[in-house]
Amino acid sequence: MTPPPTRPSPTRRTLLRGATAAGAAGLLSGCVTAGGGDDTEEATGAVTDENPLGVPDDTGLEVVMFNGGYGQAYTEHAAELYEERHPGAEVDHQGVQRVGETLQPRFVAGEPPDVVDNTGAGRLDLAQLAASGQLHDLAELLDAPSLDDPAVPVRDTLMPGVVADGTLDGAVRFLNYSSVLWGVWYSTSLFEAHGWAYPETWDDMLALCEEIGQAGIAPWTWQGKFPEYMVDPLQSLAAKTGGIELVENIDNLEADAWRQDGMLAAADAIHRLVTGGHIMAGSEALSHTEAQNAWSNGEAAFIPCGSWLEGEQQEVTPEGFDMVMAPVPDLTAADAMPFGALQGSSSESFLVPAQAANPRGGLDYLRCLFSLDVARGFTETAKALPVVRGATDGVEMSTGLASVAAAVEAAGEHVFGYKYRLWYAPLAKAVDDATGELLTGRLDPEAWADRIQTAADDVAADDSITKHRR
Amino acid sequence: MRRKATDAVLHVVLLGWAALVTLPLVWAVVSSLKTDAEIFASPWSVPEAPQWDNWARAWQEAHIGRYLLNTLIVVGGALALVMLLGSLTAYCLARYEFRGNRLIYYALVAGMLFPVFLALVPLFFVVDQLGMLGTYHGLILVYAAYALPFTVFFLHAFFRGLPTAVTEAAFLDGCSHTAAFFKVMLPMARPGMVSVGIFNFLGLWNQYLLPLVLNPDPDRYVLAQGLAALAVSQGYRSDFSGLFAGLIIAILPVLAAYVLFQRQIRSGLTAGAVR
Amino acid sequence: MRHGKNRFLIGALAAPLLLYGVFVVSPYAQAFYLAFTDWNGLAGQADNVGFANFTALWSDGLFLAALRNNGLMLLAVPLLTIVLALFFAALLTMGRSDRHGGFRGSGAYRIVYFFPQLLSVAILGVLFQFVYTPNNGLLNGLLEALGLGSLTRSWLAEPAWALPAVMAVMVWAAVGFYVVLFAAAMESIPRDVLEAARLDGAGRLTTFRRITLPFVWDTVQVAYVYLGILALDGFALVQIMTVGPGGPDNATEVVGLTLYRAAFTYGEFGYASAMGVTLFFITLTLTALALRATRRERVEIA
Repeated sequence: MTPPPTRPSPTRRTLLRGATAAGAAGLLSGCVTAGGGDDTEEATGAVTDENPLGVPDDTGLEVVMFNGGYGQAYTEHAAELYEERHPGAEVDHQGVQRVGETLQPRFVAGEPPDVVDNTGAGRLDLAQLAASGQLHDLAELLDAPSLDDPAVPVRDTLMPGVVADGTLDGAVRFLNYSSVLWGVWYSTSLFEAHGWAYPETWDDMLALCEEIGQAGIAPWTWQGKFPEYMVDPLQSLAAKTGGIELVENIDNLEADAWRQDGMLAAADAIHRLVTGGHIMAGSEALSHTEAQNAWSNGEAAFIPCGSWLEGEQQEVTPEGFDMVMAPVPDLTAADAMPFGALQGSSSESFLVPAQAANPRGGLDYLRCLFSLDVARGFTETAKALPVVRGATDGVEMSTGLASVAAAVEAAGEHVFGYKYRLWYAPLAKAVDDATGELLTGRLDPEAWADRIQTAADDVAADDSITKHRR
Repeated sequence: MRRKATDAVLHVVLLGWAALVTLPLVWAVVSSLKTDAEIFASPWSVPEAPQWDNWARAWQEAHIGRYLLNTLIVVGGALALVMLLGSLTAYCLARYEFRGNRLIYYALVAGMLFPVFLALVPLFFVVDQLGMLGTYHGLILVYAAYALPFTVFFLHAFFRGLPTAVTEAAFLDGCSHTAAFFKVMLPMARPGMVSVGIFNFLGLWNQYLLPLVLNPDPDRYVLAQGLAALAVSQGYRSDFSGLFAGLIIAILPVLAAYVLFQRQIRSGLTAGAVR
Repeated sequence: MRHGKNRFLIGALAAPLLLYGVFVVSPYAQAFYLAFTDWNGLAGQADNVGFANFTALWSDGLFLAALRNNGLMLLAVPLLTIVLALFFAALLTMGRSDRHGGFRGSGAYRIVYFFPQLLSVAILGVLFQFVYTPNNGLLNGLLEALGLGSLTRSWLAEPAWALPAVMAVMVWAAVGFYVVLFAAAMESIPRDVLEAARLDGAGRLTTFRRITLPFVWDTVQVAYVYLGILALDGFALVQIMTVGPGGPDNATEVVGLTLYRAAFTYGEFGYASAMGVTLFFITLTLTALALRATRRERVEIA
């Protein structure tokens, strides 16, 4: 912001002359798109029972991890395990906040690290990476014996859906580590003190909101600076009402998908929170931490969030707050899915770059990461559910994590997820923007749906965007 | 009487702006000494006991200390480099006639008008191909390159204005071209060098976009990046008081330098500007 | 005396020109090339798509919103900053009614007013995010304390207020520097000219309009062009402070943010470059227009 004190005075003509000179020099220095791509020599070692993936013992391993709400204790734990298994190798473990900015250039230059946790705001686009041939096939890892029981391959130690989530165009390109489920959070101690019970239908929710409001507490708050937090309960209500068919219509960009009855009804339900005055004043401008802190301080009763909330809030949660997560209530008596149905997916995407210097080591690192020992540690330190089977058995769980585990149990097969956010980032932005407006009352449900439908139609009509179907 | 009343009103307006300027800074200092709970309770509350621990946390855990050092290395290096190269270039262009002189001058000056955003994407790959992404020297070179146009533009006018007789005398005394520049012209251009040096320092200290894109290694973050990252990671683990403390630590050194040298700084800034 | 001249010139100019060519000229030139491709930043090759990126821009609601917002900033930020800075500078140098001197404490004011210039944009963004936050932020707290509770609002969450809130930060940060600059210019006005005006019975306003303003007009032009360039950016503030960022509902989207998102989030490097090229031509045109307009005005005043 430092101003040049005198007036820059070249005329248009001299500027153009400058630009021409610039062009000439550009030709000399070669073009950016020609760069990278020199193949790095791949290090290998002998394949034995102890070393089924043929990891070279004396080659270092570089892992770049997203340092977010789950912390890094579990990835460091896996690094220790790896070093124990390969005493000659040293693991260079780095935690970063913005994975894309850190690694994008290294992928282009053909010098990526050996393992990446591609997660968080600013992560790399996985579909693009895969399409550009930058991701190692993980099939070998899945077929390798697991660390805990050589008779069981890694594939069979994972919860259902993980391998499918990581499959792009027929090959497994990444594996997600954490199960994420979305719901509505509240403090059991607060509810007990007032004699409130979590409502199972939306009508009951609205009635309870009235009651909560009379007690001098705002019924709802939300992370207004990032409207996607409220998109989740909205689209959960829609999915429960319209069933998986509604979800597929949305993801497949079908005509008028956003104007389906279930979707409109869900938008209307959320909109009623606004018209009923049930949302804490100022929520629309709060960052997620600010909103969540207000909720932890008892200023609001409900907050929508994924299952990471308890871990994220652990340092500021008051003693005896006892937060739990519940599924969104039923919208109608004729809902296509039962009360317990949950929006869920997996997150913390681990991948091995195709051009890594030590890809065998990368695969073996993931083998360590997906072991029971590391997964149990994850449950404790990150307060979240890993995708490894049996990781929560016998672990003493906090109220939030226990409620999430119980919700998964209750949901059974009724766990659904939308794909459009992953496939069409610009559509996701349009949904977020419109939902922010719905939540401030500046858009009504009809206008909300129209707005998003237009954006969806634009994406559908744009040939330059690769389409996916489910 | 009416004039006196107007005087009073105007003085209050002056005071009002001074308050408006200082209030957010004072508020940030106070907030940096509160606990998170106190911050959330009220913007006006005074900390019950000053939480110096916040500062320690920002310095240590949030690495503000390291970011400060990185910034000093990068800004210092780039400043020295651009002052040397910029003054040489400006001197040559201002005092020597040769083919291509005007072309070079305009090509350099045009660089001031191009939005950095335009160059951003390819620049990223140029720096990458040179293997300089996330290195001190890479950032120093890029900073210096982007500060060059303004430096040359500013000093060009300055060297033009210096009397020619002095250099001629120097040459008669047997000075080489190089010696004439370093021993005679550069000392004479000192006021201009000070002005442009201050401008460049503030400009480089301010950089956000270039390091955001070119400096992805967290160990080498400069302050601006570190603070933005702190705001992001604060998003994942709440630590508002620590963030305020980090802000203050980032502000203090420049503010202190300014208060100490404010007279020289402001006269340096305006000397070049008002002519 | 001409001895060794060429060797000196080559030695002196080689390093700076190489530096400039590699890091400044070549990226700009490549941007022009990339703007005509569909490069995604990861693939080894880029296909030529002609003007497709540029035509797509004009139906891209986000980009158009960004242009509109930068346009509004271009109108408001330089104007407000210059008016405020001229006002304060005039008060500090010749504001007093009795002898056209500055107010007491003029030096101290100049020191304090300059403070914001020392804060980098990243610091500004983080700081003002907290100033504007609705429930425990400084601004709403201040309004409450002054008994103006009815004026409190979610500054960054209302489309009508979010952009003005961002612009206010830019003005807040910029005014001090121009106060110092204009004050220095005003102090170089010969005393006897001002004295003569006073003897003629000219009031403060008249003196300002007739003498001060024409005298500092050159400096104002400089300020105007520079503030214009500042207003065409705004990226750092918006990215750090606003809802979304760029929201609510694109109310604070700026071209820099659209470009940054297209390149580094969506991987549309070709498209992003086309935005950069467009921004370049807009800057160029506006600078030329501004210079021409202010030049004519100077002739009229002189």
